[in-house]
Amino acid sequence: MKILFIMAWRNLWQNKRRTYITATSVVLALVLALFMRSMQFGSYETMIRAGVNEVGNMQVHDTGYWDNKTIDRAFFTNPALEQKISSLPGVIHMLPHLETFVLASYGDKTKGVQLVGVNPEAEDLQVKISGKITSGSYLIKGQAGLVIGDKIAEYLNINIGDSLVVMGQGYEGTTAVGIYPVTGIAHYVSPQMNNLIVYMDLETLQKLIFPFRPGLLTGISVYCEPGLEDQLLSTIKTSVGDHFEVISWKVMLSDMLQSIKLDNLSGMVMLMILYIIVAFGIFSTVLMMTVERRRQFAVMISIGMRKGKLVITSIFESIFIALIGVVAGLILTTPALMYFYLNPIRMTGEMAAMYESFNQEPLMAFSIAPSIFFSQSLIVLSLALLSALYPIFYVLRFNVLNALRQ
Amino acid sequence: MSIIQINNLHKTYTDTKVPVKAVNGISLSIEEGEFTAIVGPSGSGKTTFLNLMGGLDTPTEGDILIGGKNIKDLNSRQLIDFRLHHIGFVFQSYNLIPVLTAIENVAFIMELQGIPKKERHQIAMELLKKTGLEGKENYRPGELSGGQQQRVSVARALASKPKFILADEPTANLDSASTEDLLNMMSELNKTENMTFIFSTHDKRVMDKARRIVTIDDGKVVSDF
Repeated sequence: MKILFIMAWRNLWQNKRRTYITATSVVLALVLALFMRSMQFGSYETMIRAGVNEVGNMQVHDTGYWDNKTIDRAFFTNPALEQKISSLPGVIHMLPHLETFVLASYGDKTKGVQLVGVNPEAEDLQVKISGKITSGSYLIKGQAGLVIGDKIAEYLNINIGDSLVVMGQGYEGTTAVGIYPVTGIAHYVSPQMNNLIVYMDLETLQKLIFPFRPGLLTGISVYCEPGLEDQLLSTIKTSVGDHFEVISWKVMLSDMLQSIKLDNLSGMVMLMILYIIVAFGIFSTVLMMTVERRRQFAVMISIGMRKGKLVITSIFESIFIALIGVVAGLILTTPALMYFYLNPIRMTGEMAAMYESFNQEPLMAFSIAPSIFFSQSLIVLSLALLSALYPIFYVLRFNVLNALRQ
Repeated sequence: MSIIQINNLHKTYTDTKVPVKAVNGISLSIEEGEFTAIVGPSGSGKTTFLNLMGGLDTPTEGDILIGGKNIKDLNSRQLIDFRLHHIGFVFQSYNLIPVLTAIENVAFIMELQGIPKKERHQIAMELLKKTGLEGKENYRPGELSGGQQQRVSVARALASKPKFILADEPTANLDSASTEDLLNMMSELNKTENMTFIFSTHDKRVMDKARRIVTIDDGKVVSDF
């Protein structure tokens, strides 16, 4: 076997220029593929991280709330239930929310907004709203006050210290009307949030929506340790019973996942085109190496070399070409990707706006997930093996006498 | 004792417009230790005859018994193994493996036979010494002259310890000095090792060295002395 290995390796260098050209085409394809996939997966990871950070790994609601988000599907806080969930291994913390759509008026202008009641300190630890405030200050627990998106402030022409009237449906047919001072104006990465979200203290909102009993919630976001999500989802579902639904972030962010899938598919189509070109490059080299050694093959079979061993030699040759390209490609690409992973590229202009529309920081993030390197290298090696099919069929159908007469 | 017994051998090519009888009823016996030249004009059938003896081609009719075994009964895989263990080949254009050195070319056939590394290295060194290539072991074919390459080719043929060596016009590409050297070497091996050599040739110098000359014309043996 060793001699076949040696022969295959030396055969490659019989025509150095051809081997270099083929290996270079593999390197270029791999570099392009790795950069492309790293950028794609990097942005997917960032999008998912930002999304999960906002909604939690899963949310517990009253059954049916997710499909029909009405305030009548709110529920009253249940300390025993919360204790049960928070004590499960892998649960990091829980954030209770009360959310409802209301009309917000200031002066002669009115706008539909989403009021989100949060526990100011706990929420800020996870979502870091205070870091997004551009003027004024963040919420204080138990105090009436609003943090509004900058687009809302712009539309209503409202400033810090001004009072905003909110009016909407309360729980169980009541009417919810209140007037609260604007304590902070925030700028979020998502234009949709800037236009829609008004944060306020949870207890204050609970008093607005249903002043007769404290503790009204529309959902509890649960954050858990990575890797335990699926297991916890089913455990929590069992724990909370039929009166509650447990919704995974994959359902809550299904639109985002859909767009990721679509983008991933377009990336795969691009890669397929790239790899078809590379496959032809490897194949043409293998083809030439096979056909030009027709007589040598004939002699080797004549003196007693089995066709199977010739096939193995040809397969080695194809693999070597691909391996040279893969190793060189990985050596060239890995440090560059590591650099960009640690120093993502900050986007500006239209590209930045596009990122923000996905509720994402305008940063071109890169992924260094080992699966990217592994899968792309494996694809190139598979293409080489595919190219080796030609010499296999060639040798198996080989006519020694015809080749010797050449 | 005859190592090759050929009985009423026929080979007709039917893939041409008109069927061609390349070998037309040859019967021949070759004894161990012979130094035989198969001669004849171009197109007489001598290369086809050699190919049939070497198991590279299959006869249309007749038998080829090598060491008592009828090679007509072997399938293509068995034929490859049979050639590996029983027949040595020397080709007109040397046909060494260009990426292997002289010693690797000689040892290659022994590796196919499964001979251990140390032993095949030792045998290969001895054969290169016998063929006058001491000091050229690590040269690749491209770095050797035609005569030297043909010597390596002979050493490679000997390496498998074959029953006989088939040489198809081995001197056709050599100058006269190299031809003389090669023939002397093969003649010496024939005498000292009792190795059977069968040549197909046009070359008068080969014929002069041969102890038996079989002349073929139109696929038939026309003289044998």
